[in-house]
Amino acid sequence: MFHNRTEALLLALPAAVFAAVVFLVPVAILLSESFRSPAGWSLAAYAGFFSEPLNQTVFWRTLKLGLEVTAVSAVIGYAAAFAIVSLPPGSKGRMIGLIMLPMMVSPVARTYAWIVILGRTGIVNQALHGLGLTDAPVRILFSETAIFIGLLQLFLPLMIISLISALENLPKDVVPAARVLGANWLQIFWKVVLPLTREGLVIGGTLVFTGSLTAYITPAILGGSKVLMLETLLYQRVTVANDFVSASVIALILVAMSFSTNLLLKRIATARAGT
Amino acid sequence: MLKTAVALSTLALFAGAAQAQNKTLTISVYAFAQDEYKEMLYAPFEQKCGCKLVIETGNSVERLAKMEANKANPVIDMAVVSMADALQASRAGLVDRIDTAKLANHDKLYDLAKDPNGDGMSVGYTFYATSIVYRSDKMKIESWADLLKPEIVSHVAFPNVTTNQGPPALYMLEQAMGKDSPDFREAIAAVGAKKDDIVTFYVKSSQLVQLMQQEEIWAAPIGRFSWAPFTKLGLPLAWATPKEGQTGGMNVMIVAKGSKNRDLALQFMDYWLSTEVQTKLAEKLVDSPANKEVKIPPEVAENITYGADTVKSLKLIPSAVALDQRDAWLKAWNSKVGQ
Repeated sequence: MFHNRTEALLLALPAAVFAAVVFLVPVAILLSESFRSPAGWSLAAYAGFFSEPLNQTVFWRTLKLGLEVTAVSAVIGYAAAFAIVSLPPGSKGRMIGLIMLPMMVSPVARTYAWIVILGRTGIVNQALHGLGLTDAPVRILFSETAIFIGLLQLFLPLMIISLISALENLPKDVVPAARVLGANWLQIFWKVVLPLTREGLVIGGTLVFTGSLTAYITPAILGGSKVLMLETLLYQRVTVANDFVSASVIALILVAMSFSTNLLLKRIATARAGT
Repeated sequence: MLKTAVALSTLALFAGAAQAQNKTLTISVYAFAQDEYKEMLYAPFEQKCGCKLVIETGNSVERLAKMEANKANPVIDMAVVSMADALQASRAGLVDRIDTAKLANHDKLYDLAKDPNGDGMSVGYTFYATSIVYRSDKMKIESWADLLKPEIVSHVAFPNVTTNQGPPALYMLEQAMGKDSPDFREAIAAVGAKKDDIVTFYVKSSQLVQLMQQEEIWAAPIGRFSWAPFTKLGLPLAWATPKEGQTGGMNVMIVAKGSKNRDLALQFMDYWLSTEVQTKLAEKLVDSPANKEVKIPPEVAENITYGADTVKSLKLIPSAVALDQRDAWLKAWNSKVGQ
């Protein structure tokens, strides 16, 4: 496409400089704070963070919830993406539009909607009561379950879109070929579809996981502060305690978690591709 | 000769006008109600002083961080912050003593607002009461401790300690429990013991209106400035007057240390404290007046923190306590409630 490598680099330069100046440099300065101590460079702030039982609990809870949301998004996302790519072009466009639609609404509005749905007098409790499954309203709001539901709804479209794009590149005859050769649906997915759509899964998984880790308003509202997450802890450290060192530690932990998950997903997908 | 004199006078007039237009005052304020402030405060002041106001907005943390970063060469001339943040700025050497002799309206302020931190570094311009909004058909709130009663607690939203209303609510709960520890040890433990019963620990007061409308909650401690939307719900809601009294908060004005426009900053502060401006802001429900000469109709007074008796009943957390205990409150809260 470009005449030479220099031309391509020159074209990329403005964006790279802009990103470096407004993002990389401030973030690097902020993160470097977390390695400073009166005695010089050290990991004392990280050791201090992980020595607190509360921080350990919050760390594992955030990681667990992020992985759960990503895993469930992948399962639902594959099913939805399969269904959508098999539709005729017109219907496919409409379905993709419907999936994208919630993303055009503010996450705050989408989160508040869950208060209506999951509340004591909400649709879910009404249905449970109507079906005779419960006598009294079930407390779903302001729990880890509510945060999970909110995050799943928030980020599922990103997974579906990534997988649709990956599935569209899947050769049309591989699934029928696997069927003819006697593979069941699970084998087809595990041995044919997953390896061939790994890029989509890695991209979607990284977006969903990173989004789940860094979302603030959904855990804050649907968890009601009973369920502390790393991002709510970071907010507290900055706005209440004015403790930028702890906040930098948490920020770097979040970045490390995102990169690790990206690598893990790539490893899983590559391992599958090798089978 | 005459021509020369006229020419010189005209030149002097234009030069004066140009100089006035060149005067710029940079203020740092909360992002809240900027349209109303522009109409009732900023624009009339610009006209009065012949100067230009540059408005910087943001939350307290961002704005104080900016003042700290520009300490050697201040960009901000004056700022409005909470009482505790004013003390923090004072301890960090970011503010100057306020020459109240240059504030013609200073004597009109309630005593509470004249020197809120007792260090001469700030002047209060507005305050709010914090009490409990509750469903009067479902319960009767007579004490802050009622919030934790078994028949009430499962219908309560309590403010998170990270919000403006969190520490005041804990402060009054501590008093209701007959304790007075600045670290709110007893109150946080009591709330922690009931954390599974309490509906939620809210972070935004706007969230409460929806929860109240859905009958998810029947009671919540709130600031008086949040009261108006509740009155529009058509529900039997009341503002509690607990026997321990009400608490609240105050916002204050400070002058940046090293400001090159200190006199202009004081003029602006004085204008903001004037009966005329404070009345307009109160009538629009923007700020509760710190100026005791402000007179407003009862229907307006109902929605803000107003009147000498109300002011006298407010038990504010001393700024030094708020500042020194902030970390301890957060730590205790996280271990008892957020765990």
